[in-house]
Amino acid sequence: MFDDNKSNGKIGSALVVGGGIGGMQAALDLAESGIKVYLVDNKPSIGGVMAQLDKTFPTNDCAMCTMAPRLVEIGRHKDIEKITLSEVESITGQPGNFSVRLNKKPRYVDEKKCTGCGACVSNCPTRNSVQIVEKEKIKLQPKYAETVTEILKKHQDRKGPLMPILQEVNAAYNYFPENVLRYISQETKYSLSHITRIATFYSSFSLKPIGKHTINVCMGTACYVRGSGILLEQFSEKLNVKAGETTEDMLFTLKAVRCIGCCGLAPVATIGDDVYGKLQTKKIPEIIEKSKIKELQYAQANN
Amino acid sequence: MAEKRRIELMVCTGTGCFAGGAFQIIEELNKELESFGLKDEVSLVATGCNGFCGQGPLMVVLPDNIFYGWLEKKDVHYLVEEHFLKGRPVKRLMFMPPDEKEPFPLLSDIPFFKKQLLVVLRNKGIIDPEKIEDYIARDGYLAIEKVVASMSPKDVREEILKSGLRGRGGAGFLTGKKWEIASQQIKTPKYFIANCDEGDPGAYMDRSVLESDPHSVIEGMCIAGYAIGSNEGFIYVRTEYPLAIKRMRIAIKQAEEYGLLGRNILGSDFDFTIEIREGSGAFVCGEETSLIHSIEGDIPEPRQRPPFPAQTGLWGCPTVINNVETLANVPVIITRGAEWFSKIGTETSKGTKIFSLVGKINNTGLIEVPMGITLKEVVYEIGGGIPKGKKFKAVQTGGPSGGCIPSSMLDSPIDYESLQKAGSMMGSGGMIVMDEDTCVVDVSKFFIQFTNEESCGKCTSCRDGSEALLEVLTRISAGEGREGDIDFLTELGESIKDASMCGLGQTLPNPVLSTLRYFKDEYEAHIKEKKCPALVCRNLIQYYIDPNKCVGCLLCIKSCPTEAITGESKFIHIINQENCHKCGQCLEVCPPKISAIIKVTGSDMENLVQLSEIISCKEWKKNHEYS
Repeated sequence: MFDDNKSNGKIGSALVVGGGIGGMQAALDLAESGIKVYLVDNKPSIGGVMAQLDKTFPTNDCAMCTMAPRLVEIGRHKDIEKITLSEVESITGQPGNFSVRLNKKPRYVDEKKCTGCGACVSNCPTRNSVQIVEKEKIKLQPKYAETVTEILKKHQDRKGPLMPILQEVNAAYNYFPENVLRYISQETKYSLSHITRIATFYSSFSLKPIGKHTINVCMGTACYVRGSGILLEQFSEKLNVKAGETTEDMLFTLKAVRCIGCCGLAPVATIGDDVYGKLQTKKIPEIIEKSKIKELQYAQANN
Repeated sequence: MAEKRRIELMVCTGTGCFAGGAFQIIEELNKELESFGLKDEVSLVATGCNGFCGQGPLMVVLPDNIFYGWLEKKDVHYLVEEHFLKGRPVKRLMFMPPDEKEPFPLLSDIPFFKKQLLVVLRNKGIIDPEKIEDYIARDGYLAIEKVVASMSPKDVREEILKSGLRGRGGAGFLTGKKWEIASQQIKTPKYFIANCDEGDPGAYMDRSVLESDPHSVIEGMCIAGYAIGSNEGFIYVRTEYPLAIKRMRIAIKQAEEYGLLGRNILGSDFDFTIEIREGSGAFVCGEETSLIHSIEGDIPEPRQRPPFPAQTGLWGCPTVINNVETLANVPVIITRGAEWFSKIGTETSKGTKIFSLVGKINNTGLIEVPMGITLKEVVYEIGGGIPKGKKFKAVQTGGPSGGCIPSSMLDSPIDYESLQKAGSMMGSGGMIVMDEDTCVVDVSKFFIQFTNEESCGKCTSCRDGSEALLEVLTRISAGEGREGDIDFLTELGESIKDASMCGLGQTLPNPVLSTLRYFKDEYEAHIKEKKCPALVCRNLIQYYIDPNKCVGCLLCIKSCPTEAITGESKFIHIINQENCHKCGQCLEVCPPKISAIIKVTGSDMENLVQLSEIISCKEWKKNHEYS
């Protein structure tokens, strides 16, 4: 078998990145079929998140019972080489024959001799100190500078400032330019990943620029039983975009929203500030035209 | 209030009427009153939501109490001249129930208002929500005065506990009890939060309370703050409610100017401030721990309870979160006494509850009824029954967490326990009526889609469980249901309930489980006979032109977006099923007198007469007249 592989340039070894439950099982399966496995994890030990769980859905199996045999198995398998506290930096070559460059962080402890007694952990005088690396300061583009600094200044001393800041930035630009988010992170000391998670959690925030007018088709229950699903489809057909997308001319963004509280007028759609109650499908082309004309008039008036 | 005028016009400017153009009506009214020289005799008040949203834009004429609905700009001139100048009320604009010949002129005669009991909405449609003077004239801020002058925090808590007031947000926890727990905590400061993140689709009571009577919420918050020993309050409002936010801002500013908020309220040593926080469109933020995270600027995911927020809440401090409607009850209880309040309602559920009565019902709008009223009274007496003489099928309460209650249970009273027993819940008070044209599989699918999108993703059971439910429901409604699907839905639903951490996950299978309980036959029809009895699920229905009725008018052909209908003028039109997208536009445009287009499902599809060639309407009639 290996002779064959050698002739077509393939090498009988594999690299598994991540030593969670999935990675461990993959490593074991590969090793069992006779392939040498390198198991890489960036943590000091393998096991991943599952070790922290009590039970797993949907069978309610005990997590430790699932993973403990695999941990032991990997520990004694001669064809699996664990490389912990390491990260993959680059991969070159092609499938079946490649080299990987790893960044192995120092452990300062001899793994062969350590018994895991924990005495050094509790005795270490500097275990809670963090090394801080100076990062390059992020600067705002001139078009954002004034508004964003003003918003930040306004909410600086407030408790829980992040939401109001994001809401106002979103109101100003309709979306979050990446650099602005980085800047907010730098100024507020919230981590970028935290801010990005918030920015993607709420439905009224967007990371992509959105159209000048938002068409909201209400998908509340009252509107739905009165046929707003069909309305949404018709809008999407007429504008040639799906829900959540923006038309090419950046004029309209089509959105399906949850109850806007006009259930008495169901089914309802709004374009910008205009509310269209008891909307019928045949009226849709008309109201789209109307908003376009309004837009044109507005543009002309401003010129 | 300003001096009494001969006539007062109460024009509703809640979101529903606002959308219908209430402000244009006001503008026109002002203009017309001016031109008739009636400015000094007739006053005009822009009120909050009147409740009868289905009739909007609307207004009530005081002191006669005459109700006008569906106002249009062009009616205003005539109305001002006839009624306000000549004193002849305009019948044409009054409320006209579908089956009656004579309109109801008086507001108090309209069945929609008759059965209601207004406690929370006591000021709706009577005051201008943007004027604190109006609220004060209606005994507003009397309660907070009584509280700071003559009651200890303990007295207030006991009074609320005695009244039996329960949280109106859904779970129905005793409000007095919650305050008691928070007041026992040693840690300070304590915070108070009013929850107006009303996310349930089809429910808008909280919005309406803020829009029509914001000061009652402020007063309720002050009293609550006093009772638990908190000096800082937040009100969390959905960003989808711009009008409510605007009115709340105005109200807070006015209360501050009057010394009813801020330092040393009414000369006492009690301080209380209120800050508005906006949501940004996440359903899960209505859950209290998740709401706290959202205010803190954290990821708005719920956390495990206990400790309850009343013990460890905002920034780790004791925090009480009450629903807006609960708070609007508080000032009334203080002024009129716990005993009076506890007389309304049933043994376990005291007071009134606001519902938004929407869906397939004649009188859509917001109603406040005493607990214990039956569903039948609400649907048929207040709601005026189902439009177009259709048959009632079910009423859905409690939003995506609730369930459907079938017609067999219409006689059961509305209170926390009875609704729970029926497999639904009180929830925040959405009441969506469904008629025979509503498919339960489709509705369940709709709710699961909602919760699936809104699940924050923290618990696997909710995130992936809703996905699995959705997949099966989608399959069933597409006509690809399999044997065993029903058992699978039940089992999965139960385990999602058991395994999820917060209310969202624990209740998300309810719409499926309750419809399975009462409408199992409909699920079975979808799975076994590939038939949608309500004619909703697209893959299971066909649009068909009845050759006996078609007059060949071309209307449907012109409206069809996919050019699936063929035919010529005066020739019977035929729908080509392969091209048909089942959008239903043809059905909409076919004149009601003719109504040649019908929907068919299941085995009926096979028994249709299929025309093999184009035939003129005349010829068809001739051939079929004698046979």
